[in-house]
Amino acid sequence: MTKQKLFKDHAARSRSVLLNMRMLSTLLILLIASTTYIQAQTVLTGTVYEEGTDLTLPGVNIQVKGTMKGTATDANGEFTLRLEDGQNILIFSYLGFETKEIDVTGLETITVQLTPMIDELDELVVIGYGAVRKRDVTGAVGSLGSEQIGKVSSLNAEQSLTGKVSGVQITTTSGAPGASSAVRIRGVGTFNNSSPIYVVDGVILDDISFLNSSDIESMEVLKDASATAIYGSRGANGVILVQTKSGSGNAEDGVKVNVSLESGLQQLERQIDLLNGRQFAIIANEIRSGSYNNVDAVPNTNWQDLIFNVAPMQNHQISLSGGSEKGDYYVSFGYFQQEGIIDKSNYERFNLKLNNTYKLSQNVKIGNNITIAPYNQQVAPGVTFAVYRAQPVLEPYYDDGSFGVVYNVGNPLASLNYSNNYNKGVRVVGNVFAEAIVKDALLLKTSFGTDASFNKATNFTPAYTIYNPDGTASQQDNEFSDLFKGQSYNMTWIWENTVNYIQDFDKHSVNAVGGITLQQTRSEYLNVAGQNIIRDGEDFWYVLPEYVVDEANNINMVSSINNGVNAAGYYNMVSFLGRLVYSYDDRYTFTATTRYDGSSKFAQGKQWGLFPSFAFGWNIEEEDFMQDVELFDQLKLRASWGKIGNEKINYSNRFSLVTSANAVFGIPDALYNGLTYGKSGNENLKWETTSQTDIGLELRMFESRFTAEFDYYNRETNDILVDLSTPGHLGNGQGQKITYNAAVVLNEGFEFNLGWEDQLGEVGYSLNAVGNTVHNEVKAIGGNSGIDSVLVGGYLANGQAVTRSEVGRPIGAFYGYVTDGIFQNQAELDAYPHLSQAGIGDLRFKDVNGDGVINGDDRTYIGSPIPDFVYGFSMDLNWKNFDMSIGFQGQIGNEIFNGKNVVRPDPYNFEAHVWDRWTGEGTSNSEPRPSYGGYNFLPSDRFIHDGSYLRLRSLIIGYRLPEKILTKMNLDNARFYLKANNLFTFTEYPGYTPEIGSNNVLANGIDTGIYPIPRVISIGFNTTF
Amino acid sequence: MMNTKKLFKVLIIAVLITGCEDFLGVKPQSVLTQEAFPESAADALQATNAVYSTLRNWHYHSGGFPLADIMSDDAHKGSNPDDASNTVGPFDNFTHSVTQDGLDRWWNALYQGIRRANIVIEKIPQVEMDASLQERYVAEAKFLRALYYFDLVRAFGGVPLVTQSEAPLKVPNSPAADIYTLVENDLMDAAAVLPLKSEYEASDIGRATKGAAQSLLARVYMFQGDFTSAEPLLLEVINSNEYDLEPNFEDANGVNGEQGVESVFEVGAVAGNTGSGGNQYANTQGVRGTPNRGWGFNRPSIDLRDAFEAGDPREDATIIELGETLDGITIAGDGTTPDQTTDEQGNVIEIESYNQKVWYPGNNTTTQFGHNRRLIRYADVLLMAAETLNENNKPTQALPYLNEVRARARGGNNAILPDVTTTDKQALSDAIMHERRVELALEGHRFWDLVRTGRAADVLGPLGFIEGKHELLPIPQSEIDLSQGSLSQNDNWK
Repeated sequence: MTKQKLFKDHAARSRSVLLNMRMLSTLLILLIASTTYIQAQTVLTGTVYEEGTDLTLPGVNIQVKGTMKGTATDANGEFTLRLEDGQNILIFSYLGFETKEIDVTGLETITVQLTPMIDELDELVVIGYGAVRKRDVTGAVGSLGSEQIGKVSSLNAEQSLTGKVSGVQITTTSGAPGASSAVRIRGVGTFNNSSPIYVVDGVILDDISFLNSSDIESMEVLKDASATAIYGSRGANGVILVQTKSGSGNAEDGVKVNVSLESGLQQLERQIDLLNGRQFAIIANEIRSGSYNNVDAVPNTNWQDLIFNVAPMQNHQISLSGGSEKGDYYVSFGYFQQEGIIDKSNYERFNLKLNNTYKLSQNVKIGNNITIAPYNQQVAPGVTFAVYRAQPVLEPYYDDGSFGVVYNVGNPLASLNYSNNYNKGVRVVGNVFAEAIVKDALLLKTSFGTDASFNKATNFTPAYTIYNPDGTASQQDNEFSDLFKGQSYNMTWIWENTVNYIQDFDKHSVNAVGGITLQQTRSEYLNVAGQNIIRDGEDFWYVLPEYVVDEANNINMVSSINNGVNAAGYYNMVSFLGRLVYSYDDRYTFTATTRYDGSSKFAQGKQWGLFPSFAFGWNIEEEDFMQDVELFDQLKLRASWGKIGNEKINYSNRFSLVTSANAVFGIPDALYNGLTYGKSGNENLKWETTSQTDIGLELRMFESRFTAEFDYYNRETNDILVDLSTPGHLGNGQGQKITYNAAVVLNEGFEFNLGWEDQLGEVGYSLNAVGNTVHNEVKAIGGNSGIDSVLVGGYLANGQAVTRSEVGRPIGAFYGYVTDGIFQNQAELDAYPHLSQAGIGDLRFKDVNGDGVINGDDRTYIGSPIPDFVYGFSMDLNWKNFDMSIGFQGQIGNEIFNGKNVVRPDPYNFEAHVWDRWTGEGTSNSEPRPSYGGYNFLPSDRFIHDGSYLRLRSLIIGYRLPEKILTKMNLDNARFYLKANNLFTFTEYPGYTPEIGSNNVLANGIDTGIYPIPRVISIGFNTTF
Repeated sequence: MMNTKKLFKVLIIAVLITGCEDFLGVKPQSVLTQEAFPESAADALQATNAVYSTLRNWHYHSGGFPLADIMSDDAHKGSNPDDASNTVGPFDNFTHSVTQDGLDRWWNALYQGIRRANIVIEKIPQVEMDASLQERYVAEAKFLRALYYFDLVRAFGGVPLVTQSEAPLKVPNSPAADIYTLVENDLMDAAAVLPLKSEYEASDIGRATKGAAQSLLARVYMFQGDFTSAEPLLLEVINSNEYDLEPNFEDANGVNGEQGVESVFEVGAVAGNTGSGGNQYANTQGVRGTPNRGWGFNRPSIDLRDAFEAGDPREDATIIELGETLDGITIAGDGTTPDQTTDEQGNVIEIESYNQKVWYPGNNTTTQFGHNRRLIRYADVLLMAAETLNENNKPTQALPYLNEVRARARGGNNAILPDVTTTDKQALSDAIMHERRVELALEGHRFWDLVRTGRAADVLGPLGFIEGKHELLPIPQSEIDLSQGSLSQNDNWK
C-alpha cells in the first residue's frame, strides 16, 4: 500500500502523504459534557471515513462550532449527535488528519471524509528521477509550494524564489517587460554561464520564462552534489525542479474550477537625482565660460518625467481540473500582459497547459504534461542611458512640435517614436509518458519530452532626421529606413527511460533508480536586413528585393543575409544514471548517485564524463538516547560530497575552423576570396567540474513550531573554460585567444533557513528567514599556456574595462584607481605623483605600487559585485478572514560600479552630487572640479557604490469571503487581495535600483543604464468552485 | 494489458542498438573545419590568396604605424602632439621599451602570414590538381613566407623558426642565420618556379613573380652585406625587360601607377574597409583634419626637406604641405595640430605636413584605404643594382642605373639633378645612398639602409639611437612571457 502510493505520487509529481498507521493507535476521545438544557431539534447520524478509502475512523472528535458540545465516533466510525437550532457547523478533528468544518444544515445523515495529515517527515520530496521521504533526504534541497509561487510577483516564476530559499540569489537584469532574471545558486562557480538548469515535469530546460506561475505546483532547488549529481554534467550550477499542477484523481471532487484575476499598475520607484537646467548651465559656464549667458533663463527639462510612465499589467488564469479512477486532468488557460514604464516596450504571453494522465489499468498509466505559450514582445531602444545624459537645458520639442535636438545622445523621445522592434514566437514544452508498476516494487517509466520554440523578430526604423535649431541635420539622422527580419527555431527532444525500485525489508529500506536518457538539440536562424523600404507602413516590413532599392543609384539595398546554427544549440547527449538510497531504521540514510554523460559537444575521447556523489543522513531524534529528549521533533545531520559538471560552455571553440581572408589582385584592383585556417581550436576541451561538499543540520522543535536548517557548503569548480593568449608563433593572429580548461574558482559559505509558526489568540502567524554567505575566490587562472593570470572584462561603451578576475579575488572584481582626495593647490600637485592630465581641483590617485609614478599599474582591486550575504525574511499573519504577508529581501557587502557615469565622450548632464564640486582650495575633498569627461572620469573607486540593500519586496493583504457567502454563491473559496511589490528599497546606491544583474559574470554589477525595475501595485481575485 | 516488461526491454535494446558513438558524432554545422581543407584546386587557390591577405592586415605594417620611417631621420610621429604620444611617440626618439605598443601586433601578424604560407606549402602538394598551378601556388607562398620572415629577422633578430601549419607551443629562438637561410632558400625556390610578371593574366597581376623573388632575395643578401650574390639577381631583373620607371615620379606610388610598369611587388587594395579589400596603411598616414583622409602619422622631417637637392621635384611629390592642392582638393590640415612646432630656442623643428606617397584621390577616409602600398619598385631595383655594382668595384656599370633614376626625377628639366659621374667608390656610394633617401623617402627603407650600411649611429645618434641596441627592435615582452621560458630576448635588448 505504502509503496504503491509512493509510486503514484511520484508519478503524479505532487506532494503526497504516506499513510501513517496511527489510526489504530490511541482512541483519543474527548467527550465534552453534554448540555444540561436540551432543545432537541435534529438528530444527525453519520460515518467518518479516511478520504479515498473505505476505512472508517473510530474516535474522531466532533464538536459543534461555537459551543462546548460534541461527541466522538465509535469503533465503526459512526456517530450520532443532537443539534439545536442554529447549530449548523460541525468540526471534525482527529489526530493525524486534517480538521474539517462541515455545514450540516438540514441534514439527517452525513458521510464525512477526513484527509490524512501530512507528517512532514513522511512528506515526499522530489529529487529528480524520483522522490524520497523527507527524512531520507541527504542533500540540500530548498522547496517552495504552490501557495508561495506567484504570490509575490507574477512577472516570472523564478522570482518566487527570491528571499524564500537560502543560497539562491535572483537578480533582475532589466525591468523591461519579458526580461529574464539572473539566477545564481551558491555563488558564481564559473567564468562562463553560471545559470542553473530547470527541469519542468522531467524535461531539462535552460529557462522557464514560458510558464505561468499559477500552473506551478512546487519548485525544488537542488543545491548540493548529493541532490544535483543525478543531473551529472549539467548540475554544477544547481538544478531547479518544477512540478506543474495535475488533477485530483478523485471523481467525487468533481470538476474544480479555479479563476484568478490580477491587475496592477507599475511605476518608477525613484528617479536619479540629476542637475536641473539652471545648475547645469552654471556648471557648464564653469567648464567653458560663456556657455550660457543667462543661467536663469535656460529651459529646465526633466527627461525622466517625459520618459517614464505609469503602466498597467495584468495576469489572468482559469484552470479546470478533476479526475476519476480512469485518470485525471488539469487544463488551464492564462494570459499575462505587461506594458513597460517606458513607451514601446511591452510583453504579452498566453499559456495553454494540458496535464493529463490516463490509467490503463491498476498498474499502468500514460499521460502528458504540455505547455503551449505564444508570446508577443515589443522592445524599446535603450533610452535610459540617453535620459541620464540628456542636458536639461534642451527642450524636447521645438515650437512647431517637431523633436528638438539633444546633442550627443539623441532625443530619447524621438528614438522611442521611431522605434518598431518586435519579437514574437511560440514555445511548446512538454512530454508524454508511460509508466507501469511491476510486482509492487518496480516502477518503469518512459518519457518523451520536447522543448520547441519558434521566434520571429522584426525591427523597423523609418528614415528620419532631427534638425538642429539652425535647420541643419543633427547627428540623429537615419538617412535610409532600416528593416531587420530574423527567424529562428530551437528544438530539443529528450527521451528518458527509468526504473525505480522501492522495497522495505524489516528495518531496511531501499529506494533506487536507474535510467538511460537521450537528448538531441537543434537550432537554426535566418536573418535578413535591408534598407530604404519602399513604404514605412507595417504592411511593407518585408525584405523584397524589388522594394529595397536605392533608386538614385539603382542599388539593391538588401544589406545582409545570414543563415546558420547557434553553436550552443546543436548537440546530442546520452546519459546513464543511477541512485541508491538506503535507510536503516529511519535513523541512517546513505545515498549514492552517479551519472555517466556522453556529449557530442566534445571530441572523441573527451565525450564521456562520470559524475558521482555520496551522502549520509542521520536522524538523531530517532536514536534511543534521544527518546527522552522531548525538545526535538527532528534533529538530523547530513553530509554529502560529489562531483558535478557544467556543460553550458562555448564548446564550438574545440573546432579549428577555416576562415575568410581575401586578397586584392589584378588591373584594376579587384577583391578575390581567400580561405585559410583560423585560430586553432582546442580538441582537449572537456566539462567544467565542480566538487561540492555540504554539511547540513535540520531541526524541528517546540512541537514543530520552530524549524531550522543550517548548511555549510564548499564548491570548487575546476577545469573552467577560459580564453587564454597563446604565443604569436602559432600564427593565430593578434588578439586571438584559445579556450582552455584552465581556471579554478571557489565558492564557500553558510546557509540558514529558519521558521516559526504559531497561533496567538485568533491570530495565526509565521515568521521565516533565510540567508546565506558567499565567499567567492578565483584560485587559479592559466595553465599550460598564457600569461593570462587575469581575465579582463566589464567593458564599458568607451572600451574601458572595469573588472579583472585574478587569483585571490572574486570573479569579476572591480578594478581601477584609488582616489585620495583632491589636489587643493599647486603645492599639492607638485608634491604628489600624478598623471600628466591632472590639475588643481582634480582627483588625486593613490600611488598604489609606491614607485613614485602614477600609471596603469596603480589600478587595483576596488570592489566586488558578489554580495557577502544574501537574505530574506517574511511574516505571514491571518486573523479571521484576513491575511497579510510581508516579505523583505536584501543583500550586503557587494559593490556597484556606476558605469553610466564614466562614459563621457561629450558634454552630458551630471548627477546632482556634482553641484557640491570643488571650486577652490578647501571647498571639497571628494567632488572634483567639474569637467565633461576625461581625467576625473577614469575608472576609479569614485564610481564604486555600496550595493547593499533591503527591499520591501512584497506586501499583501487578503480577505477571504465568509463561509456563509461562499456557501450561498456555491464557491469553495474566494479571496480578494491587494499586493505591492518593490514598495521601498533602502539603499545608498543613487541609481534606479541596486539590483544590477548580468548574465555575463565578468560584467556583473555594472550599471550601464539599466531599464528600471518598477514598483507594482495590484489587486487580485481568486476563486475556486 | 500490455506486457510492460517486454515494452521496456524493447526500449532499452533500441537505445543500445542506436549506438551511442554514432549518436554523439555530431558534426559542426555551417562551418568548415580544418581537417576538410584544402581539398580541391579551388580550395588551393583560396588558401594561396589568403597568404596575400596578411599584406592588407593593418598590423602587418610594423604594427600599424610606419615605425621604420618614424625611427629614421626622414619623419616624426605626426598626428597631433597627444595622439599616441605614449605608444608611437617613443620610437621617434628611441625611448621605446620591450613592452612598447605595436610590436606584439606586428609579430603576431607576421607569424599569422607565415602560418598561412605554411598551410599552402604543406597541404597543397597533396591536393589533386594541375601540377604547374600547384607548383606556382607553393612558390607564391614561399615568396610571401620569405617576405614575412625577412621582416621578422631584420626587426627582431633570431626568432622562432616555424615551417609547419601547426607549431608546438614552445619554440625557442633560432639563430638569425638560420632564418636567413630559410628566407634565401624560399626565395630561390620561388624564383625558380614563379612566372614573369608579363606571364600573368591581367586579373592575376599582383601575385608574386620571378622578378619580385629575385629582387627581394637581392635585398636580403644586401642586408647581410653579400653584394656578390645580389649582383646577378638584380641584373637579371633589369635585363628581363619586364620593368621600367614610370615617366612621372608621382605615379611610382600614385594611383595611376598601380600595378604599373615600375611595380615589382605591391599590395593591391580597393577603397573600403579592410574586409572589403581596403588597406589602412595609407589611412594611418593620411591627411588629418581637412580633408579628413586619416590620422596623419609619419610627418616628413625638416631634415628630409633639406636632403633634397635644390629644385628636385621629388620633394614636392613626397611631402604634402598645408595649402597645397592635390587632385583639386586643398589641404587645410588639422585644427588640433600646430602648423609649426618650435623648440625652446624658437627654432622650427616640425611642420605640419603629410606623406604624399600614400595620397589617393578622394576627400574622405574610405577612399584612402584604396592606396596600393609598393613593397618593391623598379627604382629601388636600379639603385640596389648601382649600389651592388659599386660595392663589387664596377662603378662604371653602376652609374647608368643611378642616373636612370635621376633622369626620371628630372622630368626633362636639365637644370636640375645633373648626372652623377664620379667613379670614386666612397663618393659614388654616398651618392647612391643619397639617391635612395630622396627617391625612396617615407617608403620604409631609410632606417634599414642606415642600419645595414653601419651609419645608423652616426646619423640617428642625435635622435637617441644607441649602437648595439637600436639596430633591432625588442622581441615583445608579452611573447617572452607567453613562451614560459622557451623564448629569450635578443642580445641587443638583454
